[in-house]
Amino acid sequence: MPKRLSLFLLACVYTASLYAQDFSGIQFHGFVTQGFLFSSNNNYLTMQSSTGSLQWTDGAVSVTDSLSDSLRVGIQLHMYQLGQLGGPNVQVDWASGDYKVNDHLGFRAGKVKTVLGLFNDSQDVDAVFLWILLPQSNYPIDNKSFYLAHLGGEVYGALSLGSRAGNLQYRGHAGQANLDLNGGYVQQSADDGLVFTAAPGGKTYGGDLRWDAPLRGLTIGSSADVFALDGTAPGGSLHAAPFLISAQYAQFTKGKFYFAGEYRRSPFDGILTVGPAVIPLPIDQRAWFAMGSYRLSQKFQVGSYYSHYVNKALDTTLPANYSKDWVLSGRYDFNSYFYGKLEAHFLQGTGLGYYQGTNPNGLRPNSNMLAAQIGFSF
Amino acid sequence: MLLLTLIAYKSAASAQDVVLVANKSVRMSEIKDADLRAIFMGSKTRFSDGSRAVPVILKGGPAHEVFLRNHIGESPADFQAQWRKAVFTGQGAMPRAFDSEAALIEYVAATPGAIGYVSRISSQDPVKRLVTFK
Repeated sequence: MPKRLSLFLLACVYTASLYAQDFSGIQFHGFVTQGFLFSSNNNYLTMQSSTGSLQWTDGAVSVTDSLSDSLRVGIQLHMYQLGQLGGPNVQVDWASGDYKVNDHLGFRAGKVKTVLGLFNDSQDVDAVFLWILLPQSNYPIDNKSFYLAHLGGEVYGALSLGSRAGNLQYRGHAGQANLDLNGGYVQQSADDGLVFTAAPGGKTYGGDLRWDAPLRGLTIGSSADVFALDGTAPGGSLHAAPFLISAQYAQFTKGKFYFAGEYRRSPFDGILTVGPAVIPLPIDQRAWFAMGSYRLSQKFQVGSYYSHYVNKALDTTLPANYSKDWVLSGRYDFNSYFYGKLEAHFLQGTGLGYYQGTNPNGLRPNSNMLAAQIGFSF
Repeated sequence: MLLLTLIAYKSAASAQDVVLVANKSVRMSEIKDADLRAIFMGSKTRFSDGSRAVPVILKGGPAHEVFLRNHIGESPADFQAQWRKAVFTGQGAMPRAFDSEAALIEYVAATPGAIGYVSRISSQDPVKRLVTFK
């Protein structure tokens, strides 16, 4: 049995004994997943996926305590291995104090998940999704860490607009976001010859407004986040002036059906300096996805999505500047804790998820992939 | 015959509604459908009179499924996913969950602001009954 599968099972047995323990207000929760990826062409996400790879493990443990009716504190530790990314580094996923004045106004401070579009703040919580991979156009798994959380604060709340107009939810934040030293952006910089030993980062601020329409199940929203990025490494530097990422989205749930869509734009003018060479990184990312799913039974759910990414700053006819992915997915919940997923990807273009280091002989423009995953959450 | 009786019993149990119960400190005896949903989905933490609401749930079973279907409009799996999302993003703490209706009633009786549901109550249970309205 592969070592990582043994670790997965060990984690399940150990965490099962905890079973969402609740000691007078203190709650323990966690999840662990093990994935498998096989691709017909190319190696995806730094895995040796063309021969089949199990280098895909994820896990987290959280502890929260309600200190009073209004004040809650908590921390979540997270570890992941995705091919050559991640590794045995335990990261603080979030650690915050949450003071809720009332349902209209609350504050969070510490390391706080960043809201951006429908799924940004929950994109590393595999247990809540049908999909193994979220639409990579909007939520690239190899670079999730930078957008996932920030050190700083957040104000949040909800306002009722009356029974005929629904509810409005708002969140606003400001702080500092850093790249993951073991993440995709840093790996790509290393492929370009710049190896960071300290995480590049920068200030971030932004917010989200979402409207829960009077039609039950319908949510429409918009997010805008500004990020900046600076870092120095032996032999060079990375600089990006503050850039705006905007997202507009909608989702609708009706009975066993779920539909969602999101459009995101991310213009980014970065400059990578490696020795005397100045490498411009012009990106004008236009990305969107549309998804739908159906619950066949309490335990079985199926769905499909289309994910579209194009870099308008470069020649969009070249496979390196676009990524278009048709996906079919199924999820089976064995019980409340264990689940399994299976997913097929029909991927055109090489604009996302590919690395020179694991594809030294170049890339073919298209690849089909099969992903499988088992997970445990309590 | 036994099988038919069991099927009939199960159908009847899933067709009928649950009883909403609350701690006796809860001043209201009626709760709006939308408020009940918001409290159990975590978007509201207070009753309409401003007092604190403490939702509690059953871990599973017919009463749990009927409550979620009739009052929250979610399947057990979707309800669990919503709460997992809140917990793992640091935005909420799961409602306390009970293995049995007796344990739930005992907790509701002892906890100011607590609100839950059971398949039936007796006049001796030390909790108050709530009804919903549109």
